[in-house]
This record gives sequence, structure tokens and C-alpha cells, in this order.
Amino acid sequence: MDASATFTPAKPDAAADEAADRAAARLAAHRRARRRATALVILSQVALLAAFLAFWEYMTVFDKQTAFMFGSPSAIAGFLMTMAKDGSLWRDTYVTGVETLLGFAVGNVIGTLIGLSLWYSRFVSRVIEPFVIALGSIPIIALAPIIIIWFGTGLTSKIAMSTLSVVIVALVTSYKGAVGVDEDQINLMRTLGASKFQIFRKLVVPASLADIFAGLKLTVGFALIGAIVGEFMSSSEGLGHAIFKAGSLYIIPKVFAALVATIALALVLTFIVGKVEKLLMPWRRLS
Amino acid sequence: MNAVDTPAIAAGAVGMAPAGTPPLVVEHVAKSYDADGRIVPVIGDLSLTLNEGEIVAIVGPSGCGKTTLLNTLCGLIGADSGRIRWHGREISGQPSGVGYMLQKDLLLPWRTALRNVMLGLEIRGVSLSDAEERSHVVLDKLGLHGFAEHYPTTLSGGMRQRVALARTLVNEPDVLLLDEPFAALDFQTKLLIESDTARLVRESRRSVLLITHDIEEAVSIADRVIVLTKRPTRVKAVYDIALGTERTDMIAARESAGFVDYVRRIWADLDVTRQ
Ligand SMILES: Nc1ncnc2c1ncn2[C@@H]1O[C@H](COP(=O)(O)OP(=O)(O)OP(=O)(O)O)[C@@H](O)[C@H]1O
Ligand SMILES: [Mg+2]
Repeated sequence: MDASATFTPAKPDAAADEAADRAAARLAAHRRARRRATALVILSQVALLAAFLAFWEYMTVFDKQTAFMFGSPSAIAGFLMTMAKDGSLWRDTYVTGVETLLGFAVGNVIGTLIGLSLWYSRFVSRVIEPFVIALGSIPIIALAPIIIIWFGTGLTSKIAMSTLSVVIVALVTSYKGAVGVDEDQINLMRTLGASKFQIFRKLVVPASLADIFAGLKLTVGFALIGAIVGEFMSSSEGLGHAIFKAGSLYIIPKVFAALVATIALALVLTFIVGKVEKLLMPWRRLS
Repeated sequence: MNAVDTPAIAAGAVGMAPAGTPPLVVEHVAKSYDADGRIVPVIGDLSLTLNEGEIVAIVGPSGCGKTTLLNTLCGLIGADSGRIRWHGREISGQPSGVGYMLQKDLLLPWRTALRNVMLGLEIRGVSLSDAEERSHVVLDKLGLHGFAEHYPTTLSGGMRQRVALARTLVNEPDVLLLDEPFAALDFQTKLLIESDTARLVRESRRSVLLITHDIEEAVSIADRVIVLTKRPTRVKAVYDIALGTERTDMIAARESAGFVDYVRRIWADLDVTRQ
């Protein structure tokens, strides 16, 4: 310790400054620790993936039979490169992306609108409940032949498949959110003189947002599955088409290459939904 | 803008009742619940009057039907029999000019403190700038200046309950129905918020019906304490509280001469040990 500090008593505001500095330092240290933890998680994920790919590559390098049956990371990368160069990768991803997005949007808008408006009438929701459950239990793939008869072999049938995969889930999650609103909260709105529509708009809809977004995250995958199943049935382009064609020609690495593009598409769409959620519900970050 | 939103006109509507008509008169109200086909009488036969500018506290054993009574009074559930008159008139549905507050603050998490306070004004169609200004005034009065833009999750329990109180008071209700609003707060916060409530309510001569488990709270804040019996509940005893102090300072009230005596007598009435 230096001499001047020992002999001159510190002024009170200097002490306060010092305390504030210490608090800031603690906060910074805390933040650093959290960043380190996140970095460690990501590093482990990368290591895990690398180990898996290395094992896969190793198993297929010396054995033609295994390489044919399972493909290999290097062959998959090779196919990705050629597909990127000839443009089919971008074209197929774009087509499937559009089908998925449109199905996702239409299915969620319809499902959420119905789900939320069912809050209005306990009677109507009781009447239609068994029908919703029945529709929800139909495997969408079983509908594919009919959908193609109704909507043709073009884009519309894929969007329809994607929409159908989404709509019931969106309906159920948003309805669950709407009826889950605290009864006391509704009573409070009533004592403030709110009409049923005001209760709906100012309380029920925003209170259901969390459930609606949970549904959105879930249905990104469903919308993609719907689009790809639609493409399996009949199509001339799209990732599902690429997977189906490569599979029937026994070009396994190409199947995997198209799958990689499919996964990337799902990740990007999920990421966007998460960003929109944060944007629309800023208060949730604070809790 | 709707004419009812102007306080002067709203007060005029109230004035249509003959002068001296109590804001709330309850006569022989009874209420039962149907629990799995079994009829459970909750409110036996209850009468009470709330006069203008009066604070009445209701205490009673747990589960005796206090919340049920409050919900019946503000029209959220219907009574089986009896009459409830607001300003001399029987009303179906929600009475206007009544503020309602519970132990849960029921703040909307997606609204800032200010926007939570504005809720009632918004519902009644008050213009945004007007509603904002009035809400700021009430928040300031409750010591929340500078917290208007905070979301509820970033406020302490005491502050949240103050925001809830502001949300109730900004509508300028003639009558406040409060259901254990301070029960979840720590002792110091409770004393402060009780004092603020008493001050704001008494300076504008609003009437309050306060349900509480806290006998000391009841005696220190109220002009009258009504003790209820177990289910099916009825009035067991009524105490007019005369403490001889300024009735907006909860600490002075608790230190006054008669305080302990009232608390002891009400305690005995509630018969806690033999429930
Ligand atoms: N919706 C309902 N259906 C059937 N029984 C009910 C219902 N609501 C309340 N009860 C019953 O009525 C009785 C009174 O309930 P209430 O909530 O009014 O009591 P309380 O005096 O407010 O209790 P506490 O002091 O615990 O707040 C309780 O026995 C409760 O179980
Ligand atoms: Mg209660």
C-alpha cells in the first residue's frame, strides 16, 4: 500500500467511486464468465460433430461397400460443391423454402385465428373439439394423393401439404394459450369496464403470444416436412425431389447432400422465428 | 371522447341519487356454490352499508367467503338472494366507478408501468395524451416517478403493488373494493403503502371496502371493522374505530392508546384457536 493512502483519509465520494468501480468490475467478470461458458458449449458441439464426421470418413475410406451404403462426408461435400456450381442446390433450396414459408404462414395464420377466436365461445369450442382431435390424428402423408388430385402437381399442392401439417398444431397451441389466461385478470378487465372484444384484444391476444410462438417454433419443422412429402409425391424440383431422385438412383451421398441443405433451411427458419419472437416480446428478455 | 370520461359529469351522475345516499348498501345477501352437486352455502345472510368517505375493513376466518362477497358486490358473480344497491340503485353487471384490487397485482407483463396504469382509461376511450398525463400524475403521487417506463418484471413487489394501486386510482372510482391487497408485502412496505392509500383515499373522500387477514391493518386504517363468522358467513360484530389520531399515518395509529384494545377484542371475536 502506498504511503499517501495510509495517511490521508479517503473522501466519501472517492469511496463511492471505488465501490462503483468494484461493482462494474464484478459485472464485467460475470459477463466474461458467461461468455466463456457459451464458448465452451459451442466448442464441444463443434468437436462432437467433427469427431462424428471423422469416424464416418474413417469407416468408409478403405471399404467401398460401406462407402456405397452410407456415403462419406467427403463425397457429400463433393456433391454439395457440384450442386452449388450447377445451381441446382440454390434452386431446390429456394423452391422448398418458398413452399415451406407459404405453408407455414398460411397454416399458422388460419390456425391461430381459429384457435384464438374459439376463446369467444366455449360452446363452439366444445362442439368442434372432437373434430379437431380427429383431424389432428390424420397422418398428412395419407392425404398426399388426394391433395395432388385437388391441387395439381405444381407449387399449390406442396403449399397445401405444408399448410395442413401446420394448421391443427397452430390451432391447438393458440387455443390453449387463449383459454389459459388468468381468470382474475379477466375479472379485473371486466371491473375496468372492458367489453368482450377489448378483453380479447388487450388481454387474451397478447397473453397468448408466448404459446403462439411456441407453436411457431414447433411448426417450422412440420411445414418443411409437409413440403418435402408433397415433393416426394410428384415434383420436378425442390429438395424433396432431389432426395427422392438421388435415392431411387442409389446415389446415397447426394441424398445426404440434399438433407444437409434441408437441415440448413430448417435452422435458418427457426433462427428467424426466434429473432421475431424477441422483437415482438421485449419484456420477456427482462425476467 | 365519451362524456362519461369527464370526472365532473361522472360525479354529476352519482349526484342524481338523493344527497346522503350511501355509495353501497347490501341487504340480506346470500350465496351458495354448487360443489359436485352438493350445495355449499357460503354467504349466509349478510347486510352492510358503506358510507361516503368511509373506510370499512372486513375480517373473517379463512375461507368464510370474503372474496366471494367482493366478487358478488362488483357483479362478477350473481347473488342467490338479497339486494345490492350502488348509489341507491340495483345494477345488473359491473357497477361503474368501482375500483377493484387483489393480492395479485395482475399487471400485464407486456405493458410498462405507465401503460398498465393507463389500461382503464384506454378501455373507456380516453385520448392517449390525456390518459398518459393523468397516469403520470398518479404514478408520481405514489412515489413511482422515474419508473413509468419500467416493465413489471423489473419492479419490486412493493412497487408493483403501487402500480396496481395507481391503475385503480387513476379511474377516480367512488368506491374501492380491495381484497387483501397488501398481504404479500413485507411489514415496512406494507405500512408505507397503507399510509399512502389512506392519504389518497381520504383526501378525495373515496369509500373503501378492505378485506384483510391482518387485524392490526384493519384497526389502523379503517373507520369501521366488520367481523364475519365462519361459513355460511354473516356479520358477527361491528367495531367503530375511534383512535383519536390522524387516520393517514399507520404508525401513529398503531401507537395510539385504544389500538391494542381493539385488536384484542377483534382477535377474541375471530376465535382463532377454536376454529
Ligand atoms: N367457484 C367456486 N366453486 C365452489 N366453491 C367455491 C368457489 N369459490 C370459492 N368456493 C368456496 O367458497 C368458500 C369461500 O371462498 P372465498 O374465496 O370466498 O373465501 P375467503 O374468505 O376469501 O378465503 P381466504 O380468507 O382464504 O381468502 C371456500 O370454502 C371455497 O372453497
Ligand atoms: Mg379470499
